Amino acid sequence: MTNLIEIDNLKLSFDTEEGKVEALDGITLGIREGTFHGLIGETGCGKSITGKAVMGLIDANALIEAGEIRYKGKDLLHLTEKQFQKDIRGNEIAMIFQDPASSLNPVFTIENQIEEVVKMYAKAARSEYREIVIGHLKDVKLPDPETLIYKYPHQLSGGMKQRVMIAMMLACKPSLLIADEPTTALDVSIQAQFLKVLRELKEAFRMTVLYITHNLAVVSEICDVVSVMYAGRIVETAPVGRLFRNPQHPYTYKLIHSVLGVENSLEDLEEIPGSVPKLIHPPKGCRFHPRCDKRLTICDKAVPDTITVEDGHSVACHLYTAGEKYDGL
Amino acid sequence: MTDNQNNELSHEQIRQDIANLRRKKSSQMSLVWSRFRKNKLALAGFVIVSIVVFIAVFADFLTSYDPLETDPFNRLKAPSAEHWLGTDELGRDVLTRLFHGSRIALEIGVLIILFEGVIGIFLGVISGYFGGWIDAIIMRIVDILRSFPVIILAMAIAGIMGQGVWNVVIALGIVGWTTYTRMVRSKILTIKEADYVEAAYSIGESTASVIARYVLPNALPTAIIMICIMMPTALIASATLSFLGVGVQPPTPAWGAMIAAGRGYLLKAPWISTSAGLAIMITVLGFNFIGDGLRDALDPTTKRN
Amino acid sequence: MSKKKNYWVNRIIRTIITAFGVTLIAFLILHLTKGDPVRIMLGPYASEENIAALRAKYKLDEPLYIQYLTWVGNVLKGDLGTSIRYNRSVNELIAERIGPTLILTGGGLVIALGFGVLLGISAALRRNSFMDYFSTFQAMFWLSIPTFWLGILLLYIFGLQLRWLPIAGMTGFASVILPILTIGLQQEAWFARPMRAEMLEVLSQDYIKTAKAKGLKYSVVVWKHAFRNALIPIITMLALRLPWIIGGSVVVEVVFSWGGMGSLLVNSVLSRDFPVVQAILLIIAAAVVIANLLADIIYSVVDPRIRTAG
Repeated sequence: MTNLIEIDNLKLSFDTEEGKVEALDGITLGIREGTFHGLIGETGCGKSITGKAVMGLIDANALIEAGEIRYKGKDLLHLTEKQFQKDIRGNEIAMIFQDPASSLNPVFTIENQIEEVVKMYAKAARSEYREIVIGHLKDVKLPDPETLIYKYPHQLSGGMKQRVMIAMMLACKPSLLIADEPTTALDVSIQAQFLKVLRELKEAFRMTVLYITHNLAVVSEICDVVSVMYAGRIVETAPVGRLFRNPQHPYTYKLIHSVLGVENSLEDLEEIPGSVPKLIHPPKGCRFHPRCDKRLTICDKAVPDTITVEDGHSVACHLYTAGEKYDGL
Repeated sequence: MTDNQNNELSHEQIRQDIANLRRKKSSQMSLVWSRFRKNKLALAGFVIVSIVVFIAVFADFLTSYDPLETDPFNRLKAPSAEHWLGTDELGRDVLTRLFHGSRIALEIGVLIILFEGVIGIFLGVISGYFGGWIDAIIMRIVDILRSFPVIILAMAIAGIMGQGVWNVVIALGIVGWTTYTRMVRSKILTIKEADYVEAAYSIGESTASVIARYVLPNALPTAIIMICIMMPTALIASATLSFLGVGVQPPTPAWGAMIAAGRGYLLKAPWISTSAGLAIMITVLGFNFIGDGLRDALDPTTKRN
Repeated sequence: MSKKKNYWVNRIIRTIITAFGVTLIAFLILHLTKGDPVRIMLGPYASEENIAALRAKYKLDEPLYIQYLTWVGNVLKGDLGTSIRYNRSVNELIAERIGPTLILTGGGLVIALGFGVLLGISAALRRNSFMDYFSTFQAMFWLSIPTFWLGILLLYIFGLQLRWLPIAGMTGFASVILPILTIGLQQEAWFARPMRAEMLEVLSQDYIKTAKAKGLKYSVVVWKHAFRNALIPIITMLALRLPWIIGGSVVVEVVFSWGGMGSLLVNSVLSRDFPVVQAILLIIAAAVVIANLLADIIYSVVDPRIRTAG
């Protein structure tokens, strides 16, 4: 299996009033075809920006300083907007966003909005459009699609809107779907429903998904591989089971143990002191070092390389740069 | 400590908090002023308006001519060394009439705004503050008046009432107060919900006192801004009325009337109409720049550029 | 009663009250004069018999409310009175002149809307570019020129100096251009700025990101998805600006010697022809009231969120 998407040492910054924000500092990520690759991190760590960069949807004041994004071997970063629109967006890579309430155009019917996609990508006759649209809605298990198509977004609930979004993006028949925090705006029970649909789609269509979220529970439910991001850098990548059982990065470890689960109690909860750094003046060396309880002398001087600890499991932490494996987390 | 003393202390604390809030508001004012100063267009506007005001005040001393004195032998003379902007159809010096016209223009403008403003702000305050029936009635009157184009209704009124400065002011005043009412009313509605007003009520201040101490002072900066912003409308409206033949008429040197009078001589003596027209335009632009600058300085979050 | 029905019942009531109030004002204008309105209308050389006859015709010796009711009754029957100056039925006069006025008002509106929308959109699409600053600057420019002077200026440049266009009167297609341009350019700023603001607001919405993410062409994203949403508030702006467009057309009719209702109104005011003044005021205000109601209806139809609500 090859990597569908390769992000190689991507460096991206924003030019703002207050100064230059170094949002992404050397992101390296590879997504295998047919996998659900989770990208997890706290707000502001740059995970959304990474997803948008792949789509070419970053803001005008963003500057790509270095790195490459390769999709099926082709370099994406040097494409013009027009090429992105024509060749990549939709039919190759599609994206669903966080807030379904504002992500659908309020003045067009569901049918209209999905039909747009069908018109563009499906090789079908006009008279077949409606059936195709209904078919996509059925794929995401939406009830009563024949009446749903005539409705407007504001007439649907949040969960239904989000499923419409998936249906709409699936209709593009993309090779890669980027999901940017799709369940964050949904109620917990609706989240479960949504994930169930997503899992069924995964089985049925063998989709490749980049799943961006800050929710560990969701990641553990649905992802195959996870990359953990902190302050614009990827600190750890591992298959999901191994990440939760045996995290190697101090941040990942704290993250996993800061969530109240069924097994642990309040006393077991760990707190990460301090707060996420502002990326205008990021900490020198490892960006996590000010809050790390395993800090070494080198941590504020040099940026840790990404070391492969095991097959498919890599970490960016000085505990491992000397070639040893650290067992004390 | 007794209960009474406890209450005294907490009331004292609340009063202090309110005083702090008000101090915060006045330091915001100096912030607004510094933002305004940085806006080049607004400063340019300020300079323009200052010059116009200067001319209006010192018009008598700026030229050696009398604006009303006719000179039949020097009619329709082109601009020259003796008459910088030429003479009009009755031989009067155009430049002098222009300068005196600025006085009329500004006087009328301010009077109109005061007239409209007093009526409009008063109605806006009671409409916004008391709500209910009073609000409904006032807003219906506003609806009715706004169904007539301002110029048309004002022209009809001024035409029927007769010529003169005061009739123009009254005509535009009767018709134009609705803008002020709406602006002030919406500001009042937001203030009514403000925290410091609720705080004041909770310690037992009377309605009148609340209006006087909290509602009005916050409506006041809005009112002052409104004068700068409404001056262009007032100037253009009174000039239009003069042009149409109602309100201020010759021989009084009103800019609008000058343009009307010069209309018949556009080919032979375009300077009569043109100078007056430019005068109106530059003055109005000046006020517009200031108005825009004030709006941006007060609310820079609405990025308009 | 459902919220929607409630709203419309209230709206109709408001419209009726406004219409009623409008007739009241149009009627009362006449009585702002100091002195006998009939003497003022007929002038200083009128004979006593004529004065008495007119007083009887307008029932001026009756209490005010009777005069008002008589007048309103007549209006509802379709009789707008008789012009003192022309000695003809006001209905006739207006019928002759309403066409030209509609041409100016309609044309002015089309230009204002057309230019305004186009300029606003291009300013929004090319943010902070020359186009953007130009659009904002020219908006402020038009807002600072009195309509009548703009008309005279255009007349001077294009009519007198360049001799491209006629300078007065309704002499065919060419004579329409300058008057319509005067009205349109003046009002265009009132559409350009809100259009720009709305477009910017809409373009920053999530559903635009979605549209792009679907791979739609840029022109489709802008014109189908963004413009359609940004246009909705412009409808309200249209209704708001109508009184000003009508007011502008009156002034323009005077400048360009255009034989429409506007110049009739001005002449009637100056010659104290009160019946005509009342009638025209009433018609204009009625048109504005109806236009406002229509705008509300259109708005509720065009925005699906309102159309399909409770």
